[in-house]
Amino acid sequence: MIGKHNKGETDERLERFGRAIVRASAEANAAEAEVVAASPFLYARLRTRINAEAERRAGGETWLTLLGVFWRSVPAMALVAVFAFILFWTSSLGTTTTVSPGVLSDEAFMDAGDAGIESVVFAERRPLSSDDVLATILHEDEREVSR
Amino acid sequence: MDEQADNSDRGALASPGHAADAAVGATAADVSDVELVSRAGAGDEPAFEELFNRHRRRVSLIAGRFFRQREQIEEIVQESFMKAYFALPDFANGQENSFASWIARIAFNACYDELRRLKRRPEGAASGDISEEEEAWLKSQLRDVGAGADVEAAAIARDLADKLLARLSPEDRLLLVMLDVEGMSVAEIGASNKWSISKVKVRAHRARASLRRVLERFV
Repeated sequence: MIGKHNKGETDERLERFGRAIVRASAEANAAEAEVVAASPFLYARLRTRINAEAERRAGGETWLTLLGVFWRSVPAMALVAVFAFILFWTSSLGTTTTVSPGVLSDEAFMDAGDAGIESVVFAERRPLSSDDVLATILHEDEREVSR
Repeated sequence: MDEQADNSDRGALASPGHAADAAVGATAADVSDVELVSRAGAGDEPAFEELFNRHRRRVSLIAGRFFRQREQIEEIVQESFMKAYFALPDFANGQENSFASWIARIAFNACYDELRRLKRRPEGAASGDISEEEEAWLKSQLRDVGAGADVEAAAIARDLADKLLARLSPEDRLLLVMLDVEGMSVAEIGASNKWSISKVKVRAHRARASLRRVLERFV
């Protein structure tokens, strides 16, 4: 109980002293403040500073304007980029659909799909047998004999 | 703030409709602050100069509550009026009804910003070292039952007070000056800092506790 009372008393004393300290600090500079307030060229210096700040802000405004223009152009640029990407994507999709994966035709090997290259069409894809060759030779011989 | 209130009331009868006549005929001292603000906002430089002359002392005294060097006080005065100059449209369009309280608020904010800036600088923190002589004096004062009575009169107290208060946060110092030196009410402080009344009370309690903690080290 006594300790609590002492603590309260100490706190009160510290608080009172603290207030005195705050007042002492704040009121000690009143004379300096009065001197500043009475300074004859204070307004002239303020005016110079205001003019400098106005110029600085005007300079800042041009940058801000440029930034604003850039900022406004961002959506348009993004739209163009998206459009270009979509165009690229759809065009690449178009070429891949013409080629069926896993099945390579003769035309693909010979690059016959390209314009300007003559395509070769095999009418008869069955390979010639030796009987066929013999029959052809005999047929040629018989024609010679009949002449 | 009574002086500013008197200044604000000067020429309160001058209606806006007679602004042009007043600008030409009447002296600027007869015109109210609100009228001068509207003229200054329209580019009337003498009107702003008149506003400056009316309130320069008040702003200087506010700056003197926190800073002791003349350059620092002048810096706060210039900063406050410069901010006010560029914010004149806000005053004209806002709910403010007293230029004196508005410029005082700007000045307090400028002081607060400067205190924060100084607190961030390492050399600012180092300047708070308390000498042995000051410590002995402080201990003797704190032991005394009637502590605080001679503090304001003692020359040593001035330096010491600055050093002790430099150990507080800028928020705490601002609040204690507003409460104990300016004698502002909780409601006025709340309006000035745009804080709720309960927030002001809580912060005031914390600020006093912080100051007690600073002083307790010397008991």
